[in-house]
Amino acid sequence: MTALATKPRSAQTRGASVSLHGITRSFGDTPVLKGIDLDVRPGDFVAIVGQSGSGKSTLLRIIAGLDQGFEGSFTVGDTASEKASSRIMYQEPRLLPWASVIENVAFGLGPVPARDHAFSRARTALEAVGLGDRGGEWPDVLSGGQKQRVALARALVSRPDLLVLDEPLGALDALTRIGMQSLLERVWQEEGFTALLVTHDVAEALTLADRVVLIENGRIALDLDIPFARPRRRGAVQFGALEDELLTTLLKSKSQTEEYII
Amino acid sequence: MSDLALRAGHPAIKERGALASLSRLSPDRLVPWLLPLILLVLWQASASLGTLPPSILPAPFDVAKAGWRLLRSGELLANALISFERALSGLLVGGSIAFILGLSNGLSRLSERVTDSTIQMVRNIPNLALIPLVILWFGIEEGAKLFLVSFGVFFPIYINTFHGIRTVDPQLVEMARSYGFKGFELFRRVILPGALPSILVGLRYALGIMWLTLIVAETIAAQSGLGYMAMSAREFMQTDVVVLAILIYALLGKLADSTVRVIERYSLAWHPAYRKGARA
Repeated sequence: MTALATKPRSAQTRGASVSLHGITRSFGDTPVLKGIDLDVRPGDFVAIVGQSGSGKSTLLRIIAGLDQGFEGSFTVGDTASEKASSRIMYQEPRLLPWASVIENVAFGLGPVPARDHAFSRARTALEAVGLGDRGGEWPDVLSGGQKQRVALARALVSRPDLLVLDEPLGALDALTRIGMQSLLERVWQEEGFTALLVTHDVAEALTLADRVVLIENGRIALDLDIPFARPRRRGAVQFGALEDELLTTLLKSKSQTEEYII
Repeated sequence: MSDLALRAGHPAIKERGALASLSRLSPDRLVPWLLPLILLVLWQASASLGTLPPSILPAPFDVAKAGWRLLRSGELLANALISFERALSGLLVGGSIAFILGLSNGLSRLSERVTDSTIQMVRNIPNLALIPLVILWFGIEEGAKLFLVSFGVFFPIYINTFHGIRTVDPQLVEMARSYGFKGFELFRRVILPGALPSILVGLRYALGIMWLTLIVAETIAAQSGLGYMAMSAREFMQTDVVVLAILIYALLGKLADSTVRVIERYSLAWHPAYRKGARA
């Protein structure tokens, strides 16, 4: 709880709050989520970790509005204020190969933007991810990390209140990944949106998040506040205890499932 | 507009254009013409030496003379123009119906269920087998040629449009939907560009079938056009004109193919396989 007070944040925190009530989702007869309750404060960076198949991506897709077949309810933003906007970043960049980099970013503004205005906003967003000079190129000449940065610019160009990230750094090499993490932290601090990051990398969760939620067998198994000051050093000593706790919980559930399989 | 200007103004893209125009003069571009040239020389040589009697195959020089003669009388141009007009109108009629049906079946399961299996049944009829029936229906008027060409170009365009729409990357469609794109905007920005490579393959196939069908139709049932010109030349044993007509078919086919290549280069510039300089 003290984390919020101590961490340096931009003046205009305009992120949306997120509340989930009893979110349940099954695929056929297999229950994937068994009643998830979660409240996220506006402007928080929350990491959701879990093994593959734990239902963390499913939860994210529900919050992003991509999955309608769930039970329970959730709200994004205060019901009183105007409708909160949310954007999702996928594991893959999902750039349109037939549109130039800048057009891809402007795509994030939705179907009918005023054109010149759209391009100036897109250029600003591209500059924010350090690709201001690549706007005229085709996406396929960019590297994997650069493509993900374009996807980030596209997600942020409309200034969303909530950014949902579905393991967007999963396919990147270790060095690019570290660069992307600090980029992500920087834009989050500048823009003040609420961020929900799904990842299987515990160290990544600890570097970026105010709070780490561990999902196991469709339930929240652990909910930890991460009270360290930013910017955080990767693999800092004080991470040790928390990392250990998270990994122990993760591995325990893993060994259980393996025994079950044997 | 602004994005085009931006693209053209980019140094990397400018450089790519400059490289391409340089390579235009290189021997690389002459290689494809080497074999036709050698064949032509061999042909002329064997005709001049008398190994090839003119009644079987006239010398290239005689064919050229026949071409010049027909060109001056205006006969060649008039016939070529009529053939071109028929081909184009058939392509437009058959192609647009196919394109619209391909789109609607690609986008709507209901439309597919209603029409697709019928189309697949009709598709297996060789279109030239319809010639007797078509002559009964239309006589040898323009309608007959229009029908046959339209019928021929329909299937490649239909199948490739349908296939193109169906194989658009669903991840991109999901992404676009999450950004609020739907209906026509989704179609225009994501589905159509994604299907375009396949649609253009369909167009290339269609162009081949277009000439084939038209020439056969003109040979059998027409009173003008290139096919008719060749047929009436046969009656007067003008082998040179027959060969000329065949060479013109080859040229027209190549022309049609090149046109689509240009369209591909322009509209699929984003595609690594169609980018300038990408072709070996």
